Amino acid sequence: MIEAIPTQLIIILVGLAATMAFVGLNAILLVYLERKVAGFIHRRPGPYEVGPHGILQPFADGLKLVGKQIFTPKGADSVLFWLAPMISMAPAIVCFLVIPFGPNVLIFNTNVGLVLILAFTGINVLALCIAGWTSQNKYALVGAARGVSQSVAYEIPLLLAVLPIIFMTGTFNLYDITLGQGAWPWQWFIVYQPVAFVIFFICALAETNRAPFDLPEAESELTAGFHTEYSGMGFALFFLSEYAYMVIAACVTAVLFLGGFQGPVVSGWWWFLAKVYILLLIMIWIRWTFPRVRFDQLLNICWKWLIPLAIINLLITLLVIAL
Amino acid sequence: MDNLLNENLAWAVLFGHIAIIVAGGFITVLSESLIRALMGLILTLFGVAGLFFLMAAPFIGLMQILIYVGAVSVLIFFAIMLTNAWPGGDEHGNISGKKVIYAALAAIAPAVFLGTAAIRTAPPSIFTPDETQVSELGQFLLEPYILPFELISLLLTISMAGAVLLVFERRKKK
Repeated sequence: MIEAIPTQLIIILVGLAATMAFVGLNAILLVYLERKVAGFIHRRPGPYEVGPHGILQPFADGLKLVGKQIFTPKGADSVLFWLAPMISMAPAIVCFLVIPFGPNVLIFNTNVGLVLILAFTGINVLALCIAGWTSQNKYALVGAARGVSQSVAYEIPLLLAVLPIIFMTGTFNLYDITLGQGAWPWQWFIVYQPVAFVIFFICALAETNRAPFDLPEAESELTAGFHTEYSGMGFALFFLSEYAYMVIAACVTAVLFLGGFQGPVVSGWWWFLAKVYILLLIMIWIRWTFPRVRFDQLLNICWKWLIPLAIINLLITLLVIAL
Repeated sequence: MDNLLNENLAWAVLFGHIAIIVAGGFITVLSESLIRALMGLILTLFGVAGLFFLMAAPFIGLMQILIYVGAVSVLIFFAIMLTNAWPGGDEHGNISGKKVIYAALAAIAPAVFLGTAAIRTAPPSIFTPDETQVSELGQFLLEPYILPFELISLLLTISMAGAVLLVFERRKKK
């Protein structure tokens, strides 16, 4: 009977399990990095008590979250309330299936990989909506409303920034896009498309609700925004998915603009992970450097600057390709 | 043997998707709160996307998720937020038997009509679905069907301009 199961299915199932482990490990690492970098930028040591240099702090945090009581607010629709963190987490895991980590480390090679990532990351907004709506909490609802208008707005320049790359390579396949670039930094698309890179990175920050675009969960204004009412693992799932989307954003940026797994010496997954982690460190650095934008500023940046810029960039790219 | 197994698997997947679609439809119709109804609708949309995948049209399936799940249902969510409907659900009242019969008829009529039309005038299909490249799809839309394609984009532009205009008029009144 074992032979009867299609190999593709087995590969995908194993890949999903591996992806979940990867997401968990990344979250542990990123929580530690985030707190240490924040400490460094604030000129304080950061977590220092649990383990040498505080390296066991994420595990302590995780244990605390697992041990907490799970609490549903009074009058909330409990099915939808607990469905929301799952809806947030599940698509993130699917997205990792199509990312080419290395020449041989790719779970599912498909011609529509990039569209798959764009489609499944869009579902996160829905989870945010449900969480905000069912929480029976003003802050959560305001956070959800902000989240929707933010991600609907920033989806447009994001797609417009991806399009030039698609036109240059003529494919949605992330593996082929990687191979369309060379091993050396001057052969990467960031050199040909610097404007698209900047637009894409800003939009990725906004789509993942990272500071300075963290209005849906602005701590100083909305307590915790859309996940105010979540306790224990509900909050932990939202937290995990936020870090998972950060990693996805960094992975896609690395594939589209930084040559993916290709590197000057020996190409492989090590180059990919190095690029992804440099991008993630830049994201953390940005978070602790810039103040949060105001809501009108947020929408102005998108509609008045990023979208026109992205369209002009797209038109210029088309002209150059046509000539 | 292998072929038969694959065929059985395909049927199982097909009926699984149909079950998801129908279950989503029932959740949409029968649920008490608007948000739960929306969740049912989203389930149905996911099921339809799955059918596209089964027919080896992953691009269309992903577009279904990107546009309907990611954008349209979020818009519906916003509309629900504006209606002041409570999460507990106040849409559920006493429904008379007449209404149920009418609703069932209204649901079955298009299903029968479209179903017979689809079965009678089914285009010749191939047994092993072949994945169409996205570039071929683009050429298909832009060469023989360029006029309808452009007309649709014109329609969308007009409706968007209309929406913006309506907002501006309401602002002037204030």
